[in-house]
Amino acid sequence: MKYPFPVGTNDFIQGDEAIARAAILAGCRFYAGYPITPASEIFEAMSLYMPLVDGVSIQMEDEIASIAAIIGASWTGVKAMTATSGPGFSLMMENLGYAIMTETPIVIVDVQRSGPSTGQPTLAAQGDVMQAIWGTHGDHSLIVLSPATVQEAFDMTIKAFNLAEKYRTPVVLLTDAEVGHMREKVNIPNPDEIELLYRKLPQSDEEAKFPFGDIHGDLIPPMPIFGKGYRTYVTGLTHDERGKPKTVESEIHEKLIKRIVAKIENNKKDIIEYETYDLDDAEIVIISYGIVARSAERAVKILRKEGIKAGLLKLNVLWPFDFELIEEIAEQAKKIYVAEMNLGQVYHMVKEGANGKTEVELISKIGGEIHTPYDIIGEIKRGL
Amino acid sequence: MISQIRFAGIGGQGVILAGLILGEAAAIEGLNVIQTQDYGSQSRGGHSIADVIIGDEPIYNLIVTKADILVALAQLGYKATKHELKKDGLLIVDTDLVKPDREFIGAPFTKLAEEKVGLALTVNMVALGYLVAKTGIVKKESVEEAIRRRVPKGTEEINLKAFNVGYEEGAK
Repeated sequence: MKYPFPVGTNDFIQGDEAIARAAILAGCRFYAGYPITPASEIFEAMSLYMPLVDGVSIQMEDEIASIAAIIGASWTGVKAMTATSGPGFSLMMENLGYAIMTETPIVIVDVQRSGPSTGQPTLAAQGDVMQAIWGTHGDHSLIVLSPATVQEAFDMTIKAFNLAEKYRTPVVLLTDAEVGHMREKVNIPNPDEIELLYRKLPQSDEEAKFPFGDIHGDLIPPMPIFGKGYRTYVTGLTHDERGKPKTVESEIHEKLIKRIVAKIENNKKDIIEYETYDLDDAEIVIISYGIVARSAERAVKILRKEGIKAGLLKLNVLWPFDFELIEEIAEQAKKIYVAEMNLGQVYHMVKEGANGKTEVELISKIGGEIHTPYDIIGEIKRGL
Repeated sequence: MISQIRFAGIGGQGVILAGLILGEAAAIEGLNVIQTQDYGSQSRGGHSIADVIIGDEPIYNLIVTKADILVALAQLGYKATKHELKKDGLLIVDTDLVKPDREFIGAPFTKLAEEKVGLALTVNMVALGYLVAKTGIVKKESVEEAIRRRVPKGTEEINLKAFNVGYEEGAK
């Protein structure tokens, strides 16, 4: 296989471009989208690369259609992705729920900009965290990843596809305008060094009868492929193990939704990924994610030099959320600070996790500028 | 050591491409480098800023906080960002288009692009050449390699020419 970009080498590219290249290397062969700042470069790269790898990149009439198209593509057995920013992400909410309900592996990239509405199109924000997790209606679970560097944007795109395939679920790669537009040195590995997962397929006609049944006891049903000879009914209505709508039987609804939630929540340990920096003896703990975590790491370094025992927990996965880990940290720390570019979103989850064991304070910044290390240090020193 | 360089101008002057090529040149030399940008929503006329941070140690600042070097190609860009230049920082300006209120060096980059290169659009490469000659922040050859890699196909020669016009002006 020849790739339309250099592999097995370092390159100097934007986060958006890194996401597109990683998707191609992860085996994505269908992209549908609608241009929007600051995610358009992903679409641009996909339009250039897809025809060269026998894939499809298509512009839809809007973001509702974009996510609908990738859900359809995924049911034909193709790995599929779309990318957008806040206003488009809002439009995708209905079909995000459809993808959760139909257990369709897809990757949705949200390159966050300031909102609400059209807000600040070119500037970074982290205001879509709660929307990514809870924006679609009804009880559910899904996976949300948050990269801090161009390299992580690359690596986590591959991880997003693997998790989508492994757990038959939509995965949101929640990045921001800064990571999306920033250029950094990034290592593009050789394709044969990248571990790729593919969804579980029915191994027999018998198995194919239960595309929504926990027939293997791992909560993840095998997924039949359209056009491969199976009769399969895919619906957003509550359905039984065979996929047939059953809209009034409470026990069928409860069983289905609890399984969809449990397949994510029971596998937290496999899905969740985080990094720590000087956390072991930290009295002041900063919790951060995405672009802000870089300033937080620098803040920890400076505080340590000044003799303040600070440490960092950098979250790479925002959902599922490790509430138990936060409680452990809260038991040891004198104070937890959550630094994020919104008016407090992960802050509330951390507060819940801390469970009253220690004080949790928000270091908030909105308007498009990232926290500088000194913004974080200033807040911490005020509290000492 | 870490150097923070900011290019400031208005949309359409190629400010971001200049930052990108400087960044790529640094990457070619194996240095750590981050390049970010800030621009208005309009495709022409709004402010346009490209930040390049180059260092031989890990980089934590993602945007220029205190610039060591500011290259200003338009008064609007200069005014928008002049406070971010260090007191002892180096200010490089297009002397026809920017009227600074502090010490500076520079040349009429746009005029040079029009008269010596024959294309006003190449003002970004002229300014980049001047910067590289004055500071030696990256090697001339690395920038030339970066230009070959990054500019649209078919425009390599005119961009290289513009870079060299600026470089010679800076080396005077």
